[in-house]
Amino acid sequence: MGLLILNGLANGLIVGGIYALVGVSLTLLYGVLRVVNFAHGEFVIAGSFLAFALFSGLGVPPLLALPVAAIAFFAAGWALYYVLIPRLALSDDPELMSFLMFYGVSIAAAALMLLLFGADSRSIDDTFSPVSVPLGPIYVSTARLVALGITAVLSLALAWFLFRTLPGKALRAAIMNREAIQIMGVDIVRLSAFAFALATALAGVTGVLIALVFPAFNPFSGAEYTIIAFIVVVLGGLGNPMGALLAGVIYGLAEQMATVFLPQAMAQIVGFAILIGTIFFRPSGILGTRSRR
Amino acid sequence: MALSSRTLEPADRIYFMLAALIGGVLLVYFALVPFLGGNIAFHFYLMLWITMASAFNVAAGFAGYLPFGYVAFYGVGAFTTAILVKKAAVPIFLALPLAGVAGLVLALLFAPTLRLSGIYFGIVNLALAGVCRLTITNLPDWLTGGSFGLQLGSRAEPVHSFYVMMAVMVAALATILWLARSRLGKALRATRDDPDAADMMGVNVPRIRLYGWLISAAFPAICGGVEAWYTNVVDTETAFNTLTTAKTVIYAVAGGLGTVTGPVVGAVAMVWLDELIWRRFPLLNLLILGVATVALVLFLPRGIVGTLLRRKPQWRRYVP
Repeated sequence: MGLLILNGLANGLIVGGIYALVGVSLTLLYGVLRVVNFAHGEFVIAGSFLAFALFSGLGVPPLLALPVAAIAFFAAGWALYYVLIPRLALSDDPELMSFLMFYGVSIAAAALMLLLFGADSRSIDDTFSPVSVPLGPIYVSTARLVALGITAVLSLALAWFLFRTLPGKALRAAIMNREAIQIMGVDIVRLSAFAFALATALAGVTGVLIALVFPAFNPFSGAEYTIIAFIVVVLGGLGNPMGALLAGVIYGLAEQMATVFLPQAMAQIVGFAILIGTIFFRPSGILGTRSRR
Repeated sequence: MALSSRTLEPADRIYFMLAALIGGVLLVYFALVPFLGGNIAFHFYLMLWITMASAFNVAAGFAGYLPFGYVAFYGVGAFTTAILVKKAAVPIFLALPLAGVAGLVLALLFAPTLRLSGIYFGIVNLALAGVCRLTITNLPDWLTGGSFGLQLGSRAEPVHSFYVMMAVMVAALATILWLARSRLGKALRATRDDPDAADMMGVNVPRIRLYGWLISAAFPAICGGVEAWYTNVVDTETAFNTLTTAKTVIYAVAGGLGTVTGPVVGAVAMVWLDELIWRRFPLLNLLILGVATVALVLFLPRGIVGTLLRRKPQWRRYVP
């Protein structure tokens, strides 16, 4: 039992790192643009499929796929922003309509991946040597440890970017007050396009990492990650990047510990319970002090 | 003021004449389908989607909630019907109203979420639908049939379930037609537009919202039951398929939320289009559905009827 718990903790940290990245990109998007990206999970899985295509087509290992995904998804996000968002802003209630629009995007993205890659579950069997590393009494797969390292580096880099650079500070300022930052002379359209591109790039990179950590993915895995992203974002407080990073790790640990103590299917309910509980009892999230409802 | 105590204004007369005309055409058309050798399956699902979209309209168009887990009512209704018929040998004509009751009970369980608004409500509702699916998946196999699903084993005549579906559709449309002109409907719209002002005017906001929510929940549950009876099989994958919510939302929005005719027009147009695409490009169907949704939000956010009414505001008094 002790070993199981240790294993759960290790896996919880690794999976939690992934969830933190999934959540932080979604929360950036919501915070800056006030749109709810229902297709976020599909963006993430598209990253996994990009890694899969690069590996099986050109033999590119997943670690090299990371920068490719970052650049490709940044560009795609930038373009998608200008196709979707300016027109959306004209509707009566952009925030609620965005939910519906990205619902459509998620269906279309899943269908596109289905057409390109088929319905089968895919995995990347690129193994590190050694396959697993002893960590005290337990063994952890090397791929997962590498992924954990990358998530940690990415999170720190993101935190540095948000708190120490001018564009990062502008992003946080836009989350706090979209109107005031325009008075300060920031081009909100370009900043929003940048936020969308950054969030999409993060989603793509996370997708590559998912290909390392989880055994398999298929075109319809996206919905799962969308729900996880929502849980993390709500738990961390809508539009709160640091909250989302913390909430991701907490949720990863909770989920993995739940699989240790509860039957498989019940463990899935834990996530939903966290989501509903947070919204009812602490709508501003774990780090939030003021209600954003 | 009671309706009987005043004479109908000309505008009201045109409104009800139009409603009767549209309703009559729909009724005669659908009633004749089995006799004229029409495609029963296609029209069965057309009526199902008209009902679903119209009932969704009560929550989304009248009350201002976007339940993104709307399929929960449908799935619970389907399983209630299947379990009652198969395990308790309840006759189908008793099981279907009980499915509606199950939908109402579920709506009451979800009622605390009505104090949320906007995306919070949408996200929580989505999560609750997930909880419903997982709960039913975790029930013992002898009750729900496990992953194989439940066979109802009733030798259902497609024509019978067709006419029952028609009755459900007529009931839903009549309810919404009444709602649109009733005190409850006006109070619902007032609550949607400005809850504080409505409260000030003496509207019991939580209660009004609950009534709207209950109306919106009963019909999808019955739809789920009728569909289970029609196809003779229920399983968690199809009964709680997210696409059911997606289609309901898309059809309702395509027609225009907040009007009686909107979801009907939207469902007819989109189901017909869906069928056309399905026949021509079966592989592209899902992709086109997604792209159509995006295009709809971007270019026709008020839907077909909603856009028409915006162009011709003076028609608002006459169009149901």
